[in-house]
Amino acid sequence: MKGRRLFTYSGGSVISNSEFIWMGMPNTIMKMFNKSIVFGLVGITVTDRYAGVCPIRGSSMSPTFNPSLESFTDDYVFLEKFCLDKYKFSHGDVVIFSDPTNYKERCVKRIVAMEGDYVSNVNGAVKVPEGHCWVEGDNSAFSSDSRTYGPIPLGLIRGRVTHVIWPPQRMKKVDRRIPQEGFAF
Amino acid sequence: MRSTSFLWNVCKSSFTFGLIGLTVSDRVASVVPVRGLSMSPTFNPPNNTSSGLFTDDHVLVEKRCLTDYKFSHGDVVVFCSPRNYKEKQIKRITGMPGDWISVPSSYDAVRIPEGHCWVEGDNPTDSLDSRSFGPIPLGLIRGRATHVLWPPQRVGKIDKKLPRSGLSF
Repeated sequence: MKGRRLFTYSGGSVISNSEFIWMGMPNTIMKMFNKSIVFGLVGITVTDRYAGVCPIRGSSMSPTFNPSLESFTDDYVFLEKFCLDKYKFSHGDVVIFSDPTNYKERCVKRIVAMEGDYVSNVNGAVKVPEGHCWVEGDNSAFSSDSRTYGPIPLGLIRGRVTHVIWPPQRMKKVDRRIPQEGFAF
Repeated sequence: MRSTSFLWNVCKSSFTFGLIGLTVSDRVASVVPVRGLSMSPTFNPPNNTSSGLFTDDHVLVEKRCLTDYKFSHGDVVVFCSPRNYKEKQIKRITGMPGDWISVPSSYDAVRIPEGHCWVEGDNPTDSLDSRSFGPIPLGLIRGRATHVLWPPQRVGKIDKKLPRSGLSF
């Protein structure tokens, strides 16, 4: 249809095919620009509200994430945010939450106890208040978690980790493992 | 043929505008109604005999503060309630990390830990705030209220009023 003919009439004057292609260029660029804006917005909305990918740093969750200190790259995990609507968290979920000591940073730990449970801490038994949960890292020796800063409000949670997606040899679903020690009753 | 392509264009445009609106509301600013009297007379002053959708104050809550702003005394913020994650509350920040707050019920002074803040309502008699549930982590904050948008006679910027009582040093 367009551009097939060698010469085109435009406003009474004759223009060649190559000139016609040049005239159409800004239109194509505008279309590509529009499409990339829409895709960018869709990406932002999906990452904010539904699911995302993020790297894990540190060894507080060894061996679930970053099992060795000499790995070249950090583990990347897939996190889902559908859980934030209904807040159906339970024991054993690995969650990402805002650090209570520094709200600009995020931490990843496992939920060990929910509201109403009693947790044995160094200072005695602590009851987790309503609206809060108790988180601990899988690597107890190197983890600063609820044993340091106490139970965290559920409102701090930003997402739940479901899968490890990098490196390829350790791609798998993250288990909801109940920790062996600690009392939850 | 022409009507379906017109309908398709309308669908595409509304989808794009919907996405833009959603992104703006999540990341830039949104309008929220304020219920209750815990922030009288700043919001919902006692002249209103009835409170409903059209008589509640509506405020502009900006969310750019969540990434690169440092909260300070006197900011009115919207945050998730620490007792019930499904509810949002709006109160004023009256203490920042490191401050000492005198709790009237006991003789102790509470030091606000790192990363937390002390929030109180402007109407102390009718406000459930940090005097009940203690300091809240700054990560619970969902936005900062900057302007009152409704009712029209009280449209204006919200002042950063410093609290009258309490010790902060």
